[in-house]
Order: sequence, then structure tokens, then C-alpha cells
Amino acid sequence: MKILMIFDQIQAGFGGKENGDLELGGKMMPIGSANMFDKYLADVNGQIIGTLYCGDDFYLNNKDMVTKKLVAMTKKLSPDVVICGPAFNYEKYGLLCSEVGQAIERKIQIPVVAAMSVECTEGIAANKNNLTIVKMPKKGGIGLTDSLKKILELASLKVSDQPIGQFVKANCY
Amino acid sequence: MFDALEKTMMPLAEKLGKNKVLVAIRDGFLITTPLIIVGSLFLLFSNFPIPGWENFWTGILGNQWSSWFSNVSGAVFDVVGFLSCLGTAYAYGRELEVDPIQSAAVAVVGFLILTPMRMNVAGVADPLGAIDLQYLGTNGIFLALVVAIVSVLIYAFVSKRGWTIKMPDGVPPAVSKSFEALIPSGVVMLLFFFIRIGFEFTSYETVHNFIFEILQTPLKGAGNTLFAQIIYSLACTVFWFFGINGPAVANSVFAPISKVLTMENLNAFQAGKELPNIFTDPFSNFFTNYGGGGSTLSLVIVMVIFCKSERIKKLGKLSLVPGIFGINEPIIFGLPIVLNPIIIIPFILTPTINLLLSTAVTKLGIIPYTNGVALPWTTPIGFSGYLSTGSFLAVIWQFLLLGLGCFIYYPFIKTLDKQYLKEEAEASIRKDEEEDLSFDDLNFDDL
Repeated sequence: MKILMIFDQIQAGFGGKENGDLELGGKMMPIGSANMFDKYLADVNGQIIGTLYCGDDFYLNNKDMVTKKLVAMTKKLSPDVVICGPAFNYEKYGLLCSEVGQAIERKIQIPVVAAMSVECTEGIAANKNNLTIVKMPKKGGIGLTDSLKKILELASLKVSDQPIGQFVKANCY
Repeated sequence: MFDALEKTMMPLAEKLGKNKVLVAIRDGFLITTPLIIVGSLFLLFSNFPIPGWENFWTGILGNQWSSWFSNVSGAVFDVVGFLSCLGTAYAYGRELEVDPIQSAAVAVVGFLILTPMRMNVAGVADPLGAIDLQYLGTNGIFLALVVAIVSVLIYAFVSKRGWTIKMPDGVPPAVSKSFEALIPSGVVMLLFFFIRIGFEFTSYETVHNFIFEILQTPLKGAGNTLFAQIIYSLACTVFWFFGINGPAVANSVFAPISKVLTMENLNAFQAGKELPNIFTDPFSNFFTNYGGGGSTLSLVIVMVIFCKSERIKKLGKLSLVPGIFGINEPIIFGLPIVLNPIIIIPFILTPTINLLLSTAVTKLGIIPYTNGVALPWTTPIGFSGYLSTGSFLAVIWQFLLLGLGCFIYYPFIKTLDKQYLKEEAEASIRKDEEEDLSFDDLNFDDL
């Protein structure tokens, strides 16, 4: 299963909150917090083929353009699944995950798994019915490793076209 | 190994993180923290560690000047137990979903019911109506916590049983709320009424003496050991491997103890007495960690100077300024440190080694005991060492440890650096020229 990650500046390893104006970019490899998945990828036969990233403030100021470009780039790279997250309680990044994730599924039919904590109210409210958003703890909270495994599990289910109803009911918003 | 660790640590973190009493105590202290910091700044100004400082200001403001400042610091430090009672009861009320401010008020009253309110003064025939500040200050912290928890527990129990006076509809909510609090508050006050009377018949005479002797002194003693501090230091870092904020978990247990240790030094500093404790908050903040948990400022320096991978270098540069102020979030998630089996080793080792060495040099008298002044944890290295001890040697010591940390991190981050370099090279081969994706020539047809 080929996985594409979509990150904000913090998860991509390009600084903290103050660096939100980071422009859209991407690399053909796992970067930043993608390495957190390392240990669990083998279980789902997954491989991270690339990472797209965008500063959270840059996204908010250029939503249409960024969404369009991320969708087009995803299409070009044609992964089996896209992971938007983990967004923890970074609300602006959570919104990015929710809106971009939904756009990818709707426009190019590549499955998406998003993940954020309950604090990302706007992102969850926007698409909880038409995007699978995995529940996860806020930063520093308990249960991160568990939710990383869940993200991959759901990705694997979606890629192999298996029923996800029960999983979503138990683990998503 | 990490799996085994996860199986033991995770339930522990979960238990501590969900225990409402511990959460209330931790959050309750957070209510007093800003007040202690501001009070500390007043104290620091009146005792600034520069020779001739006091005389200089006496010449301008007169003999009384330092008491103006100590009035403010005393207004916090001398009632820190009382404030802890208020804060903890508020937080616990919130946790138990009863009116938090009413919880805080009734706990404070309960605390005062247990406190002697008459004082015999030499030369005065009748006892004065007065509270000895020793009961409300540092010595009262543990009693304050006990009273806060017990009173809110009872308050919530009675309220939730519905043993309250209910007002008809149409009565303003503030009024009906006040009546609702009447019976629960009465039960709490009645309980403390009996407790106080009961203790008058014991050799302790007051609950203050009892709790101070059987709870506060032994727990403080247990926490004031190198062994306990090593456990604390390990908890702070090991939890981060699993993405859990280690200090938040560790402080839920250690906060009351380190609070007492720190306040004792602060009180002694204010009174111009010898400083009693090594293991204070400033010691742990400023002599074991630089740049946030894991002492990552050392790591950032190595990343900037010695690493070749584009990603690591860039992240290092971006993390330097936040790191100087103790913020390492970009590193924790961006490098990342979470679930990174290589970097977690120096992340755990460095603060622990710093702790051992700083304890040794303090015990040897090379650097002074910390004065307990509560500087914000964002205070940069150098300033923090000087202001918390008044010693330039302590500043030099901080930078020595920072350098030592670089040595510890070096082999580990270089390993990661090589791995990242290899990945970056492979990615650029795959893409023929470079690994950066270009968003300029995308095809937007059928989107």
C-alpha cells in the first residue's frame, strides 16, 4: 500500500507555530513526524512514498489555490491512500486535513484517512459525515501510539475495499 | 524493549492522567503559579544579587524601601497554602462538575475552621484575634490540599444526592444557586467543626500540626532525595517517547512536594536565612534541562553546526530561537523525538546526567543552592542561572552542561543525520534531479 502524507509545518519538521506562512511543498520521501509510523508500517504492508506540506496560516490565506494544488499533486503521485494528520489539537492544521482530505476523496476518489483530537472542532464539524476522521489525543496526551495504529488500520481497510462501518463507528467522529 | 515499556508505562500514565484528585492538585497549583512568579520578581528586585544594590536604593528611596517590596512578595508567599486550597478546590469542583467557585469558597472556610484564630501575645492580657501566617503559608500546603479534596468531595456528594433546597421557577438563577449550596456547605462546615474539636483532645492539638508531621514532612523528605529526582527526571523524558507530555504526568505526583521544597527556600531567602533544599523547581528547570524537556538546546546546536542533512539543518535553525526560550515542540514532533528509538536515548540520558552532576557540584558547594525565586521556565540559559543563585559560577556551570549535552547528543543525531542523508539522496535519484516536488506544472484538467 503506497501512502502519501499531508502535513503542516510542525509535523513536516519546518519549525513551530511561528512558521505558519511556510509555502506549499513536497518531498518524495517520509519527512518529519512521518517517522512515527515507521514501526507500524510493516504490519499493514505500507510504504510512505512522499510527503506534501503546507504552513497552516498559508493554507488559511490561500485555501482554494492550496486545495486545488494538493489534489492535483495527489492525482499525479497516485498513492493508494492519503493520510491527513495526525493533527493533534492544532486546529488550523485540523481544518486543512478535513477540507483537503474531503476534496481529495470527492474529486479524485483516492481514499483518505484524517486524524485529529476533539479540540479541532471546526475541522471535525466541517466533514465528520463525509470523511473518516480518526479520534486521537491532543499533543502530549495519552494514546498516540494507539491512534497511529488505528490510522494505518483504517487506511488498509479502505485500500482493500473492506467494510469500514464498524471500525468508523468505534474510532472515528 | 519499547513494547514492554509501553505496556507498563501506558496504564500508569492513563491512571495518573485520569485521576481527578491528582489533576485537581496539579491544576490548582497552576492557579497560584502566576502570582508566585510576580511575587518573586518583587522579591528579586529587593534582593538583587549585585553588591551595593541595597545601599543604592536606600540612598534614593529611604530605609523602608525593601519592605514595600516584601509586602507584595509576602502577600503571596505567606498565604501560599491558603491559595493552594482555593485553587485545588476550584479545580476539583470543576472535575466533579459542581459549582467551582462555591467549592473553592467552602474549602477555604473549612481550612480556616481548622486554623487557630486566637494568638497569645506577650504583654497583652487577652488573646488577640489573629491568624499566625505560618498556618497559611508553606507549612499549610499539604493540609490545604487535604481540606480542598475532602470538602469538595463531600460538597459534591451531598449536591449530587439532591439534598439541596430547590427554589420555584422564576427565582433568579444566582439566588437559587446560592440556596442550592446551603445544605452541602453546611455538611462540610459541620464536619470540619467536629474535626477541629476532636483534634483539641489529641497531643497534636491542631490538624495543622498533625498533617504537617505525618504527611508533609515525610513526603517532603522522600521527594528531597536524589533517587526521587532521578525517577522524576526519567518520567519526564521516557513518557515523551510515546508522545505523552512527561512533566504533566510526573507533576501530578511531584508537584506538591516540589512546591513545598521551593517555597521553603523562597521563605528562607526572603528572611535572609540559610537556604534549606537542593531540589527546588528552579534547580530542576535551570540546572537539569536547557531548551525544554530532554535538554534539547544541546541537540539543536549540534543539528545546526554538525549535521549535513538538509532537513535536520533547517529544523535546527528554525528551532534555535524557540529553544533558547525553552520551547521544543518543533523538535518533539518535527524531528521527531516521539517514537524515535535513536534520539530517545540521549533525550533521556542528558537531563539525568545533568541532574547528577548539578547535584554533585551543589553539594560540594561549587554552585549555591537555588533561592527558590520562581522565574518563568522560559527564562533563557545564563539569566536563569544567575537570577536563581546570584552566582556567575552557576552561569558558567550551565554552559558547561549545555556543551556536555552536545557531546552526548552528537553520536546519536549523527546516526540519524546519515540515515536522512541517504534517504534524501535516494529520493533525488528517483526524481532524477532533486527530491523537492514542484507544484508549478500541475495538470488541473478534470478537477
